[in-house]
Amino acid sequence: MRKGVRKLRALAPTLTLPRWAGEGMMLAVLVAYALLYASPYGLRVLTVAGVYALAAIGFQIVFGLGGALSLAHGAFFGIGAYATGILGSQWGLGFAATFPVSLLVPLLLALLVGLPVLRLESHYFALATLGIAQVVHLLAVNSPGLTGGANGLPGVPGIVLFGWAVPRGLPLAAVVWSFVALGGLLAWRLAHGRWGRALTLVRDDPLAAGTLGLDVGGLRLAAFALSAVYAGAAGALAVHTQRVVSPEVLEFPVMVSVLTIAVVGGRGRVAGAILGAVLLLHLPEWFRFLERSYLIVYGVALLTTIVLAPHGLTGLLDRLFPARPVPLPKPEAPPEMAIPGGPLLRVEGLTKGFGGVRAVDGVSLTLEAGTITGLIGPNGSGKTTLVNLISGLETPDGGRVLMGGTDLAGKRPDRIARAGIARTFQAVSLPEGASVLAAVAAARLERDGSIAQAEAHALWALERLGAADLAAKPCAGLPAALRRRVELARALARQPAVLLLDEPAAGLTDGEKAELASHLHAIAATGTALLVVEHDMGFLLPLAGHVLCLDQGRPLYAGPPEGVRSDPAVVAAYLGEGA
Amino acid sequence: MITLQLLVNGLALGAAYALVALGFVLVLNATAAVNFAQGDLVMAGGLLGVALAPHLPGYLPLPGLLLLPVVLVLMAGLGLLLAAAAYLPLRRRPPVAVFISTIAAGIILQNGASVLFGPEPRAAPPLLSGGTLDLGGLVVAEQSLAIIAVAALLIAGQQWLFGRTQLGRRLRATAQDPEMARACGVPVTAMILITFALGTAFAGAAGLLLANRYFVTPTAGGDLILKAYIAVTIGGWGSVPGAVAGALLIALFEVGVSSVLSYPVALGLLYATLLVILVARPQGLFGEAARRRA
Repeated sequence: MRKGVRKLRALAPTLTLPRWAGEGMMLAVLVAYALLYASPYGLRVLTVAGVYALAAIGFQIVFGLGGALSLAHGAFFGIGAYATGILGSQWGLGFAATFPVSLLVPLLLALLVGLPVLRLESHYFALATLGIAQVVHLLAVNSPGLTGGANGLPGVPGIVLFGWAVPRGLPLAAVVWSFVALGGLLAWRLAHGRWGRALTLVRDDPLAAGTLGLDVGGLRLAAFALSAVYAGAAGALAVHTQRVVSPEVLEFPVMVSVLTIAVVGGRGRVAGAILGAVLLLHLPEWFRFLERSYLIVYGVALLTTIVLAPHGLTGLLDRLFPARPVPLPKPEAPPEMAIPGGPLLRVEGLTKGFGGVRAVDGVSLTLEAGTITGLIGPNGSGKTTLVNLISGLETPDGGRVLMGGTDLAGKRPDRIARAGIARTFQAVSLPEGASVLAAVAAARLERDGSIAQAEAHALWALERLGAADLAAKPCAGLPAALRRRVELARALARQPAVLLLDEPAAGLTDGEKAELASHLHAIAATGTALLVVEHDMGFLLPLAGHVLCLDQGRPLYAGPPEGVRSDPAVVAAYLGEGA
Repeated sequence: MITLQLLVNGLALGAAYALVALGFVLVLNATAAVNFAQGDLVMAGGLLGVALAPHLPGYLPLPGLLLLPVVLVLMAGLGLLLAAAAYLPLRRRPPVAVFISTIAAGIILQNGASVLFGPEPRAAPPLLSGGTLDLGGLVVAEQSLAIIAVAALLIAGQQWLFGRTQLGRRLRATAQDPEMARACGVPVTAMILITFALGTAFAGAAGLLLANRYFVTPTAGGDLILKAYIAVTIGGWGSVPGAVAGALLIALFEVGVSSVLSYPVALGLLYATLLVILVARPQGLFGEAARRRA
């Protein structure tokens, strides 16, 4: 297959297209098909494909961009369908009233269940959302007074738009696909804007996203709720197409179809949702001999895609027609953040226990503007825990983290990041799918108005560390030393008042360490206070103006770096008693 | 008396659930993969019993029990197939890939079954002759006792295999740390294949046991995977005895609430309980800490 792709590429070596070209071509083909070739039955299939495309676009937001495998998407679809079905057939309400309700009810449910459930990790989340779907299905089947029970409700009225009763056939297909176009455009803009970038960072690395000032929980909840609105709209349109609502809309096959469409089409891509929906809704027509077991085709398509083409059909298209490389922006210094002089951060009596172990036990320290403080201690002495406590990744049991008079202890990582604290991680984590520039620009998403601006500022940060030539490279496959450099640029792009570095010199050569030290001096010279966790004394002691040594969570030594080597307590902690 | 009767019924159901949950947890421990097809594999085991039943010689008094070894072997084979198609090609990819591939495998199983057998509920033959026993006023179905006995034997066999044999040590080493196990010369891929075969055989056995008393339909898997999951969540993610205990608890709850109210209410309450446990105590009732999103 790879060979075939290369051959095809060789045929069209100069063919590069703007990002929306694929989407535009697909839309044109669809319109042509609907106008020229579709029979009444063909139009019906196309209409249903539109319904699923809309549901799948919503699913791309929560699953593709947000990375949360929500198995409640089918339930939101069904709830939208029932809202329209009940209000339309029982209460005689028209489209203008039922459609908004079909968006609102799934939205409210998503907000209600989303708060607790979204905190769960991958498969916990998936199965919890499946549980929600099963509960909704049970309720629909077992409340015949409201839902018509297992038989459902017939006689749902058609769509009436501004007094025009939309007839079946081409007009209905056109109306449904207008909603798809509208929803697709909105989702595409969101996905390619700041919000979409932030959401993908939350998907790829939620820890880093929080420390870059992004409200992880809020982003997830918004994605989940928005996807529910899409599903509700699709459900409403489905019922108008069928004129009946029955528990089938809440059964697992709906969810399976949406998931398959998204994965086969290409995760996170609006074009993937449309391509997948049109293809998979037409597949059973081509495999008509399978009759009601068309879902076998879905299963096989899903399994084959996930094994052979993990990026789906749009991924294959991307390899055939690689997008035109986007020119790099001009580097631009972000607006200066005023860093006051004097003590920037005061930590007082910080404590944290895990089980019976006191990992951090009453640590106090002060970080002055423009200084570099070294944090040392044997393995397990609580250095990383202290950094995690200050940056909000762990909640302290006691003590205060004061910055400009505000106690940040126990606050969310994004709140702390926005107060002016940035950090790097001991194990560098960068979003593997992103370019270096995009990875660094993630640090500015919360502050800058547009992606272009964020990238200009990101390039400035890379330039300051002499790494501007990396900007267009993918993060995946970067050597360790450069990964550390990129991560430092990302922290720097936030223009932090306080910068926490967790073993920045690990794995670097002597030359690279010297270079890093000069960069760190330059950062401190702008007024930023640095706290550097490090094992390499040859690197740290000349760098730091002040050193704090921890042992078993307690401060053992605090003072000038010259005194460290001669301090008997420090020597004992490192070399053991009696050394 | 009625309470005792319910208790026996609940224990029988719980014993079968325990096999489902056990298979689920074994695969989870060995591969860190959530096998979403586990419920559909239970269904497949039940339908296998339905399909094989007409070929049983009529004069033998132990219909279902004779099928058990056949179902175990065939299902183990299916487990190998599942691992080869849905796990091994994806082992270096994020866990969600395996999760989706097992969803796909479940869809194929479910709809394959619905093509072959139709949507109607069917019953597999009873393990024994299908009568009842009068234990001093307490009338119990032979099937219930047989389910409890067979499940107990299989679980004990699993404990023996993992606890007392060389193969078991290798399986446990693989579950604990595949990299380390490989470094120590354990053929990790083979161990994973064996785990999938075992887990699937347990699901199949559960299917055969359940499909006599509760019938089996091609779509029965959805509820079963959730129950296995709830059992594992109650028992502590990754704990084998926890999974068995969780399964018994669920079954007793289900039988109890169904007898007083109704089955849908019992099911709804179970799912609601799942949500509450997940939110309030995701590490399970006696388990180690589960990983949460930050």
